[in-house]
Amino acid sequence: MLTLLKDLRRLRREIALPRPDRGRSLAVRHVDCGSCNGCEHELILASSPYADLQRFGIGIVASPRHADVLLVTGPVTIRMREPLLAAWAAMPEPRRVVALGDCALGHNVLGMPDEIVGPIESVLPVDLRIPGCPPAPDEIAAGLLALLDSTRGSLPISS
Amino acid sequence: MTGYSERVAEALENGWSFAGLYAVAAGGPVRVALASETGDIRLETVEPGSGAMPSIVDLVAAAGWDEREAHDLYGVRFDGHEPLRALVNHDPDFETWTVPVRGRDPYQVAVGPIHAGVIESGHFRFQLVGEKILHLDARLFYKHRGLERAAEGSTLEEGARYVARACAACAVTNGVAYAQAVETARGLRAGAELGRVRTILLELERVWSHLNDISAVCAGTGLAAGAQRFAGLTERARRLNARLTGHRFLFGSVRVGGSNVTLDADAITFAQEELGRLRAEAASGWRELVFNRSFEDRLSNVGVVRAKDARRLGATGPAARAAGIAVDVRSTSPGLAYEGFVPVVPSRTVGDVQARLEQRHLELGQSFGLLEAIVARPVRPVAAMNAGTEQLVAASRVESPRGATLCVVEREGDRLTRVHLRTGSYANWPVVAFAAVGNMLPDFPLINKSFELCYACADR
Repeated sequence: MLTLLKDLRRLRREIALPRPDRGRSLAVRHVDCGSCNGCEHELILASSPYADLQRFGIGIVASPRHADVLLVTGPVTIRMREPLLAAWAAMPEPRRVVALGDCALGHNVLGMPDEIVGPIESVLPVDLRIPGCPPAPDEIAAGLLALLDSTRGSLPISS
Repeated sequence: MTGYSERVAEALENGWSFAGLYAVAAGGPVRVALASETGDIRLETVEPGSGAMPSIVDLVAAAGWDEREAHDLYGVRFDGHEPLRALVNHDPDFETWTVPVRGRDPYQVAVGPIHAGVIESGHFRFQLVGEKILHLDARLFYKHRGLERAAEGSTLEEGARYVARACAACAVTNGVAYAQAVETARGLRAGAELGRVRTILLELERVWSHLNDISAVCAGTGLAAGAQRFAGLTERARRLNARLTGHRFLFGSVRVGGSNVTLDADAITFAQEELGRLRAEAASGWRELVFNRSFEDRLSNVGVVRAKDARRLGATGPAARAAGIAVDVRSTSPGLAYEGFVPVVPSRTVGDVQARLEQRHLELGQSFGLLEAIVARPVRPVAAMNAGTEQLVAASRVESPRGATLCVVEREGDRLTRVHLRTGSYANWPVVAFAAVGNMLPDFPLINKSFELCYACADR
């Protein structure tokens, strides 16, 4: 255990991420609407020591009730439309929607037209688009941090 | 039509194993893929009379999902598969897709399709008494995009895009399985050099995937230091992929009929050095996990799938090997650079979470060893060679990080008429449901992580 912690401390020193601003946070609820799992795998690594979203106050939360942001991946399949809307409806206002990855933006989507609703923006208003197939963890982190900057004062801030 | 079940039964007795079943078109015909111990694939074709044919689930429980899918998507009925529960179809009626549970005080817990973390979408319906799981019905296919149907009519080259889009975590495996099937259909075969390039890509995929899986099991027990350590290594493995092929998941690196991947001497040197470092650091991180008692305590005798059940249910990949079934498609893959490959199994072949975790560690060591041997000299573009006769239907199997993946390609001229992908995840999902039974509900996330299956390539 000690070795693990020492390794991580060394790693953090090497990566040398900037110091976070104090007193800001963004609670993110992730909803997969039919991705290829690439966006999920990269989103998981946005919390690895290399991007370390938690350090900047950004965390994935277990309920839409706790969320400021709905982070949506995939092209929105017919079967995920209702769960997506239910998650959105459960969120307290003000709330934001982030479309993560090219499928969520409606680019180069493959599949049967009768199985796919369309890009996120055809279902919900989108506040931030993070393109990429899939976007890398540092691109996801940069996008969410920019959202945090742009919404300073307009989103509930918790610490 | 009589004789189909008998032919399948006879093949099973002669050492063939079930590798998949799919409907070619609405109402049939239906093809069953069987794999021999030496790597041959045989397709048995049945024309259902008036839309119905005999079920083989009594012979092969592993065909359960395949028959349910063929029914839901292609309208084929399977006599003897009773009840034929909905799989892909999302009928709102609870009775149509769950197994009834009766007794004193059973209750249900519904989880998903949206989960409490960064997890793909899927629904789990647990039947419990107290905290004990009596039964689990997994309802997947929330992510069904109809990729196989959408691919019909495209050229054999374009078809690769649909297969690649099925799943990022199995992108190379699915791509190689598709490329090999198309090459067989066209009378082409991979020479040693093309086999070497593809094997490098397959093993790079396994390295990041297994590092991710170890991180996931640590996360499943709440061991943040282990999860973060192995997440850091996963990040490095993906960066290595990007450095070598331009893409963190190796997208676009597998092509039909050849390879365009170029690795010059500098890239090879970098890859060798970085793989060496990853190997050493993964080994050091692993030692820390093994000696962490409170971590190890969470793993043993949880989510047990013994060899007998693993075989019956069609478990494949690390899930099967952790139960002591030393089967790996890599040992019978002539188009790839796996000469002399021998599957490993863990020290305790009891098929629990601990064994599946140890299996990842052992396979990581194997993959680093394989890569050391084949990432030894530069890689240049190379084409497949002419091998002989063309075929209208061809199949290929490739070992993914999650088990044997089957790809069948059917064509008319240069056009796809049908493509079917049965991935290691698809094969293992019913095994996850079985593994959950008898355990505590709070252990399910950990059991699920110890399989770490993709929803995307099961749903397609």
